[in-house]
Amino acid sequence: MSAMRRSLPLLALALAASLVLAAAPARAHVGSPNIFYDGDAGPYPVRVIVRPPGVVPGLAEVTVRVRDGRKADQVTIQPLQYKDGLKGAPAPEPAATVPGAPDVWSDALWLMSSGSFSVRIGVQGADGEGSVVVPVPAVRSQVLGMGKGLGGLLAVLGLFLIVGAVSIVGVAVREASLPPGEAIDGRRRRRARWTAAFAAVLFALIVWGGNAWWNAVDRQVRQKLFKPFAVHTATRTEAGRPVLTLAVDDSSSKEWVPLIPDHGKLMHMFVLREPGLDAFAHLHPVAQGKEQKNFRAALPPLPAGTYRVYGDIVDENGFAQTLVGRVEIPAAAAVEPQGGIALDPDDSWHASEPLRQASTAAGPKVSRLADGGTLLWHQEPLVANQETTLRFEVRGPDGQAARLEPYMGMLSHAVITRDDGQVFVHLHPMGTVNMAAQKVFVESASGAAKAGTAAMPGMQGMDHSAMAGMDHSSSGGTGGTSVLSFPYEFPQPGHYRLWVQVKSQGRILTGVFDTDVAQGGLDPL
Amino acid sequence: MESVAHAAVARPRVESSTALPWYLITMIFGSTSILVGIMWDISWHISIGRDTFWSPPHAAVYLGGLLAGLSSGVLALKTTFAGSAEEQALTVRLWGFRAPFGAWVAVWGCFAMLVSAPYDNWWHNAYGLDIGDMTPPHLLLISGIVFIQLGVMMIALSLQNRATPGEMKKLGLAHLYAAGLVLAMLIPVHIIEPNRRHGGFFYQAFAAYLPFLVVSMARSSRMRWAATILSAIYMLVIAIIALWVIPLFPAHPKLGPVNMAITHMAASPFPLLVVFPALAVDFFLQRREGKRAGWLDAAMIGVAFFVIFFIVHWYFAIFQLSPAARNWFFAGDRFYSYAHRPGPHHYQFWWPKEDPMTLQIFGLSVLWSILSTRVGLWWGQWMSKVQR
Repeated sequence: MSAMRRSLPLLALALAASLVLAAAPARAHVGSPNIFYDGDAGPYPVRVIVRPPGVVPGLAEVTVRVRDGRKADQVTIQPLQYKDGLKGAPAPEPAATVPGAPDVWSDALWLMSSGSFSVRIGVQGADGEGSVVVPVPAVRSQVLGMGKGLGGLLAVLGLFLIVGAVSIVGVAVREASLPPGEAIDGRRRRRARWTAAFAAVLFALIVWGGNAWWNAVDRQVRQKLFKPFAVHTATRTEAGRPVLTLAVDDSSSKEWVPLIPDHGKLMHMFVLREPGLDAFAHLHPVAQGKEQKNFRAALPPLPAGTYRVYGDIVDENGFAQTLVGRVEIPAAAAVEPQGGIALDPDDSWHASEPLRQASTAAGPKVSRLADGGTLLWHQEPLVANQETTLRFEVRGPDGQAARLEPYMGMLSHAVITRDDGQVFVHLHPMGTVNMAAQKVFVESASGAAKAGTAAMPGMQGMDHSAMAGMDHSSSGGTGGTSVLSFPYEFPQPGHYRLWVQVKSQGRILTGVFDTDVAQGGLDPL
Repeated sequence: MESVAHAAVARPRVESSTALPWYLITMIFGSTSILVGIMWDISWHISIGRDTFWSPPHAAVYLGGLLAGLSSGVLALKTTFAGSAEEQALTVRLWGFRAPFGAWVAVWGCFAMLVSAPYDNWWHNAYGLDIGDMTPPHLLLISGIVFIQLGVMMIALSLQNRATPGEMKKLGLAHLYAAGLVLAMLIPVHIIEPNRRHGGFFYQAFAAYLPFLVVSMARSSRMRWAATILSAIYMLVIAIIALWVIPLFPAHPKLGPVNMAITHMAASPFPLLVVFPALAVDFFLQRREGKRAGWLDAAMIGVAFFVIFFIVHWYFAIFQLSPAARNWFFAGDRFYSYAHRPGPHHYQFWWPKEDPMTLQIFGLSVLWSILSTRVGLWWGQWMSKVQR
C-alpha cells in the first residue's frame, strides 16, 4: 500500500491526513479496462463502448454509435446482473444523443456491486427494434490518489473547522448565557478557556479516530481490489516434448467458479518473449482434473528465454479475466518432439524482429506473412484514450486479396501489448468482448435454461457474428473478404506491438506490427 | 427563579412583538428544506436508486443549508458592521465578529457541509459509493446538517429566552418547531421499522438518547406543554413529508436487482409515538418549573418515559404489522426498497432469537433512560439560560 498519509499535529489532520494515495493499475484485461463491441443490434449495426468505473459502486460510461448511416429514434441502456437477468433488471433507460453527433448515444450507468454484469442495448428506429448484450465485468480495480491541491485545501478547511468549533465552545461558556449588557467576568473567562481546552482535546480524539477509520477503510478497499488469480507456471519435458504447465493458485477457493469454453477452448494462452517481444505463441492448454485449475499445453518450437504468459478464461457467471504469469522456456524446447501430448490444431506461433520504436504517424504498414503474402495496416494516428478502428488488409502471395477462413469462429484474432507488459488485450473484429461471457448473459437475460440453447440478439450464431467488424464492401480474390477492422482504444501512451492472426487456405498466419501511441489530452485513470 | 431574573433585565427591543425576525424565518425555512431534502433523498435511494450529486433532494439539502448559513453570515456582518450597541449587546463575539450564538453554530454547520462536498466526492471516486455505510465525509456532512438545525434552534431559543410575554407564544412555538426538526433529524428512519420493535436493540438505543433530546429541549422551553408539542411537531412533519406527500409521486427503480414492484416513491416507517412519553415529561417538568431538577426528577421522568415508550411502541408495532396498517396513512409496509425481496418477513418481527427483549434489557433500558434524562435536565437548564 502506498498511501502517503500524514497526521498534522493535534487537530488538522483527519482531513489533512490520507492526502495522497497512489493509484494502482487496473488489472482486468491487464491495463485495458474499456470494453468495445462492434456488431448488430437487430437490424442496426452498432459500436458499443463501455468505460467501466475504476471503483464499485460507480458510474460506467456507455456510448453507442449506430453505424453505416442507419438512423435510430431511440437507444436504451439496461444493466443486467448475472444472477437476476432481465427479471431483476431496472427498466431500460433512454440514452441521449451526443451534441453534434446524432448517431452517437450515451448514458452513464451505475454498477452497484462487484461481479459479472452486462448492459443490454436496445435500438429502435424505422427498421424496427433490435438489441444486443455486452458483458461488463464490474471490478474495483483502483484507489484514486488525492492530489496535493485538494489535500492541502481540505487540510486548511479542516483546520479552520476545528479551530472554529473550539472557539464556538469557548464562546458558549463565556458569553451565550450572559444577560445582554453584562460584562464578562474573570470566572466566565477562565471557565471558557478550560472548556475550550477540553473541547480541543476531544476534537483531537475525534480527528484521531476519524483518521484511524479512514486508514481502516483504505486498507479494506485495497485488500478487495480485483486481482486475477495468481498462477504458477513451469516447463518440463514429457516424452521428449516440451510442455508448459499453469496452475491456478486459488487460495480463496470460495470464489472459484467453473470455467466455460470460449471458441471451444477453456483457456486462450499467449506467451510473449521478453524483452523484445520477438517470439509469440497462441496456445490452448487443456485442463487437468475436474477442478479445471491445472492446465497443460505442448510447447511449439520457440526460442529459449523468459516469456510473459497471459491466460484468458471466462467462468460460468460470464466473468472473464486474464491470468498473468512468467515462465522460462529452455533451449531444449527448440528440439523436434518425439511423441507426448500434441499441439492443439488451433495453436500458432511466430518469431519476428524485436520491438522497435515506431512512428505514430498515419500511413500503411506492411508485415510479411509466412505464406509469402502480406498484411497491410492502414494505420491512423494513435492517441491514448481515443477510440480508433484498426484496419487491416490481407493479401496472398500473388498480391491479390486473400480469402480468409474463420479461425476459431472468428475472422481474426489480434493481441496488443505494451513493451512493459502493463497493457495486454486479446481482440476480435467484434471488439474486446468475450463471446462466451456474452452468451452467458444472453441466456441469463432470456431465461434460457442451459448453455447453448439461446438465440443471441444481434448475433445469429457464432459464424455470422464472426463476421462482425468486417468491411462487406471489400471482397477478397475468390469472393471472400480480406479486410479486417478492430474497434479499440489504447489506454496508455507508449511503445506497442500488435500480432494479427488470420487463417487462409487452412494455414494460420500471423502479422506483426510495432507502433507508438501518443499521450492523449486526459487520462481517465 | 431564572425566568424571573431574565424578565428583570432591561431588554433592548429590536423586533416588534408581532413579527418574527427575518433571519429566524429564513433559518427555519432552511432547516425545513434540509429535512424535506433528507427524507426525499432517503425515499429516492430506496425507490429510484443512486444518482449524481446534483439530484433534486441533494439540492434541497444544500440550498436549505446555504440559506441558514448565509442568513447567519449576513446577520453576523450586519450586526458587526452596522449593528447598534443595543443589537450588539444581544450577541456573542467570535474572532472579532458579532452574532447570536446560534448563528455561529449554524455558520459552522454550513461550512462543515460545504467542506464535506469535495471530500465526499473524492471519497466516492477513490473508494466507490458507500452503500448504507457511514463514512468520514458523510459523518462530516451529517454533523454540519445537525449543527445548522441546532443553530436555528439556539437562535429561536435565545429570542424566546428574552421574549416579552406578548412575544412568548410565537417565539416559544418557533423554538419548539426548530426543536421538532432536530428531533426528526436525529431519529434515523433506518432503525424505526415496526418489525424491530419487539427487539432489545430498538428499546436500548432509544432509551439511551431520546429522553436526553426531549427533556433538554422541553426544559429549555418556556411553553407549558413543550415536550408534547415538539414531539407532535416531529411526528407531524415526518408523517406529512415522508408518509403522505413524497409517496404521491411516481417513481421507478433505475438500479437492479429489482425485487419489488415500485411505482411510487417509498414512504418512511410511521414516526415514533414520542408524544406519549412526552406527556409524562411535561407532567413532571411542570412540577419543577422555575426550580432546579436533580436525580430524583431524572429517575421519575426516566422511568415514566421508558415505560410509556415501551408499552406504546410494543403494541403499536403489532398494529403496524397487521393488514389494518397497510394503507397510505400508516404506511405499514410501504418503506421497503426495490431491492428487498417481498415475503412474510415484511409482516413479522425480526430477529426474535438474536435480538430478544428480555427483562434484563428492560432494566438496562430504564437505567439508560434515567441517565439520559439527567443529562437532558442539565443541558436543558443551560439552554434555558442562553440569552444571546
